[in-house]
Amino acid sequence: MEPTISVRALSKQYGRATVLDRVDTEIGPGVTGLLGPNGAGKTTLLRCLATTLAPDSGRIRVLGLDPATAAQRTEIRRRLGYLPQDPGHYPHFTAFELVDYVAILKEHTDRRARHREVRRVLAEVDLADRSRTKVRKLSGGMRQRLALAQALLGEPELLILDEPTVGLDPEQRMRFRALVSRLGESRTVLLSTHQTEDVAALCERVVVVNRGRVVFEGTPRQIAEQAAGQVWLSEEAPGAAARMFWRTADGRYRTLGDPPRHAVPADPTVEDGYLLLLGEPSEVAA
Amino acid sequence: MNREDWHVPGDLMDRYLTGRLEPAVVMSVEAHLTRCARCRAAVPYEEGWLVAGWERLAEEVDRPRPGPVERLLGRAGVPGHLARLLVATPTLSRAWVVAVVVVLACAVAVGQAVREVGASYLLAFLVAAPVLPLAGIALAYGRHVDPVHETQAATPMAGPRLLLLRAGAVLATAVVLTAAASPWLPGPPGLSAGWLLPSLALSVGTLALAVRMPVAVAAGLLGAAWLGVVGTVAAVHADDPFLFFAPAAQLMYAVAAGVFIPFVYARRSRLDPGESRWSQRSAYER
Repeated sequence: MEPTISVRALSKQYGRATVLDRVDTEIGPGVTGLLGPNGAGKTTLLRCLATTLAPDSGRIRVLGLDPATAAQRTEIRRRLGYLPQDPGHYPHFTAFELVDYVAILKEHTDRRARHREVRRVLAEVDLADRSRTKVRKLSGGMRQRLALAQALLGEPELLILDEPTVGLDPEQRMRFRALVSRLGESRTVLLSTHQTEDVAALCERVVVVNRGRVVFEGTPRQIAEQAAGQVWLSEEAPGAAARMFWRTADGRYRTLGDPPRHAVPADPTVEDGYLLLLGEPSEVAA
Repeated sequence: MNREDWHVPGDLMDRYLTGRLEPAVVMSVEAHLTRCARCRAAVPYEEGWLVAGWERLAEEVDRPRPGPVERLLGRAGVPGHLARLLVATPTLSRAWVVAVVVVLACAVAVGQAVREVGASYLLAFLVAAPVLPLAGIALAYGRHVDPVHETQAATPMAGPRLLLLRAGAVLATAVVLTAAASPWLPGPPGLSAGWLLPSLALSVGTLALAVRMPVAVAAGLLGAAWLGVVGTVAAVHADDPFLFFAPAAQLMYAVAAGVFIPFVYARRSRLDPGESRWSQRSAYER
């Protein structure tokens, strides 16, 4: 079966900076997390896939279509829901008006059917009771949910969500995870994050990007296994030779890499595997 | 017996359902129904009728109220969704409309007040007026002028369709506003309307150039060229400063617009709204 997204040798430069360097990956149905530090190239990759940014070279297929062709690019956009990293807003619009505006851009021309769809997506993100509130009066988390609502218009086959959990409080984040899990049962969801908790809770598959290259593809369990035998807990702070360590809530030190003195092994998490993959020696928290 | 133990007796319910109760008793029964699920379950209703009723109510409450411009567009035969799209234009386009109104109001005010410098004043107006729509077209679309650009760039209406729609709206607005101001300008009525065809030719010329370069660049180039050439010729040929607005020149503008319009229509898919451009064949495939 053809994957929903297929990327081959994709490269993009901004001036002399190489943001994407011959990226190869395939994304299939379900929820996939794109994980990476700030500046890794996640947003650039997602913008190329969402057809808002043209790559310098390489091949992209989205839903079996080639975005380099104008007609196929438009067809991709008909079947795509996209939440950009900075979705922007018109402050003088109400929540309903903003989503209605995007619905028109998505070719929902029949007024009654369009308004029904707008109400549906606002209810999905728990903003039905805020539909007549001006966008400028919504909190940051509500605006983020509003941006998510427009991405859900028309029940798209592919959802691309760039940092969707930014600005959400823990309860909203939990509701978001439930929503995305449900959406991922019947379509492809690709979301970027640097929150390993989101990946562990949501994603069936993880793609880790660092410095413009894909450095890992697999399941959350597999990324955690990258750290097997390299995670330690100790009462004392590790010595200067330790590559990565931080003090946990119970006062003990969690060290990645070689074991410090009197340390006991710990079960690896997605975060442990991710940090080791990035390979940046740092004290995460003292 | 407390309130929770009491339920609407059968005969009372029958009389309620058949509309045979006094208004005060109806209100009492309905007050009870709002808090008693058991009695509510005894009230028969049609599911479809209820859903449709709620939808009508929600539609009445939520639907955006069309403003005067939107209503005017509707009366002029513009489809509702397009009218909605046009009035919900970016902030900068609104600022442009305000700027055009202010410029025209000043032109009219000065033209009326200073009759003795009417000819040179009229010339300055004729040279400047065709450039106004170009500024509007340059501001009609793009990342730097629209806060929601990234969201709308991933919709099927993005790119040439939205650019052409907004450019058409800008041109129509400029023509209507400037034409409304023309009768109050000094000089013969035919001459004061002499900017219309140059304006059309420059606007369509901008779109024709935009198949090769970003529309803002095309508008800047053509606007500067027009101001430079026409301004210089008018200054040099002091004996005939209206040379560029004479009937022969007007014919030339009409021919140019006649050539550019089908050209833009045929090449509309190649219009460059100023986003990065997708090549028809990616480097990977070459």
